[in-house]
Amino acid sequence: MDNSLLVSLSQQLAAFRSMDVIANNLANVSTPGYKRETARFEEYLEQVRPAEGQKGTQSLSFVKDAGNLRDLSQGELTHTGAPLDVAINGNGYFAVQTPAGMRYTRDGHFSLDPNGQLVTSEGYPVQGDGGAITITPDAGDINIGTDGTISSIINGNINQLGKLQAVDFANDSALTKQGANLYSTTQAATPATASEQQGMLESSNVQPVIEITHMIDVTRAYQMTATLSSSQEDLMRQAISQLGAMPN
Amino acid sequence: MRALSIAATGMQAQQTNVETIANNLANMNTTGFKEQRAEFEDLLYQNVVTPGAQTSDTGTFAPNGIQIGAGVKTSAIYRINTQGDLQSTGNPYDVAVQGAGFFEIQQPDGTDAYTRSGNFSLSPQGQLVTQDGLLVLPGISVPTNATAVTINSQGQVLATIPGNVTPQTVGQLELTVFPNPAGLNSIGSNLFLQTPASGTAQTGVPGSPGYGTIQQGYLETSNVNSVDEITALITAQRAYEMNSKVVTAADQMLQETAQLSGGA
Repeated sequence: MDNSLLVSLSQQLAAFRSMDVIANNLANVSTPGYKRETARFEEYLEQVRPAEGQKGTQSLSFVKDAGNLRDLSQGELTHTGAPLDVAINGNGYFAVQTPAGMRYTRDGHFSLDPNGQLVTSEGYPVQGDGGAITITPDAGDINIGTDGTISSIINGNINQLGKLQAVDFANDSALTKQGANLYSTTQAATPATASEQQGMLESSNVQPVIEITHMIDVTRAYQMTATLSSSQEDLMRQAISQLGAMPN
Repeated sequence: MRALSIAATGMQAQQTNVETIANNLANMNTTGFKEQRAEFEDLLYQNVVTPGAQTSDTGTFAPNGIQIGAGVKTSAIYRINTQGDLQSTGNPYDVAVQGAGFFEIQQPDGTDAYTRSGNFSLSPQGQLVTQDGLLVLPGISVPTNATAVTINSQGQVLATIPGNVTPQTVGQLELTVFPNPAGLNSIGSNLFLQTPASGTAQTGVPGSPGYGTIQQGYLETSNVNSVDEITALITAQRAYEMNSKVVTAADQMLQETAQLSGGA
């Protein structure tokens, strides 16, 4: 097999991978707390036998995926007005107790379950500084301070209901995405210093203009490689027909 | 190629978003209506390289893994139970709840439903009923010869009857609260049903902590904010458009692939 087709193939696979990542970013343009990702590639060199009449080593350069880089920058804070929506401003994650173990999220859309526990959209209890947080119906209007303290005023007295505890990790990029806006990790969680905003949600940090530009880029690169493969194929066809022609 | 199906999930999600916004705008003038929002979450990831995978025996790790997402899904459409504005109507049987409570209504089949819409009337028998003729619990009868009816903030219904100097108490309105009012099942006609998610109904007297108070002669307007909704509509429409562009681009790439062997 001719190497140039294999080199083209590696580029085309990379383009497909890039396209999948861009599609996932754009699909999650309205997902609260979503962090955009970029596919990163690296060069892969293969040593080949030198061509006729040439000395030294020669190498072929392929492309392969190196990793998906997660952009951890802050998403915009969007006002929702829901009293139990909380956005994290700065680094940090909410800890959520799931049946599969502790998970972490930046999606601060919380509700109450039938027992008055603060839970995520999936019904998993959100962890405060002392475990799950319970809010009884007679608590009235809930106020969440920037440090995560949840309180309400009953008959003129301030009533402390718990404190949301945002946590942080040494290496955010190494958190594994689990879907449902959750991350998992084996790293140790340390208390975060970020501030919390009630009635807000952190929007996805996907920048449509970047994604669309990147998408056009990938499509064009793919087209160029396709053209290259076609020319290579033409070349091979000509070689076969001309070299294989019977001399008269 | 995953990009096609990923973009399709994005388009579906934005369609749900637009439908939710359309329903909010359609109910802008519905008494006691609570605005809804579609909430999204990312779908499962395929781990090509798990983040933090070891890359050598000297303890080096891949700083970023390769996780390919499968798109987005709607995780919930939730109600935002904030207080709507109170609008003066002057009708003595219009009552608004200022606070968290719901009125309890008896449905034709005898089961209970709950509503925030307090535009009540009297039935031919003098009973307090909703606009659909459903009885407002615990059941209040106003004497036919009453000349004036007052409902105070604690929900006491007082009727002035000719021949009596002081108004007579003819009933007591009650309010019901839930641990999670967002979990109530909406059945249309401004009515809600209790569900396992909402928790058990607790009935009490207006004015008790957490229940709210009654305002006679007022109705609670919907809490839909038209500016917010229109902005959300534009965002949703653009997001839909962008996802459709991904479909076009992915299609183009597949077309190129199909044409690769076109000359053979």
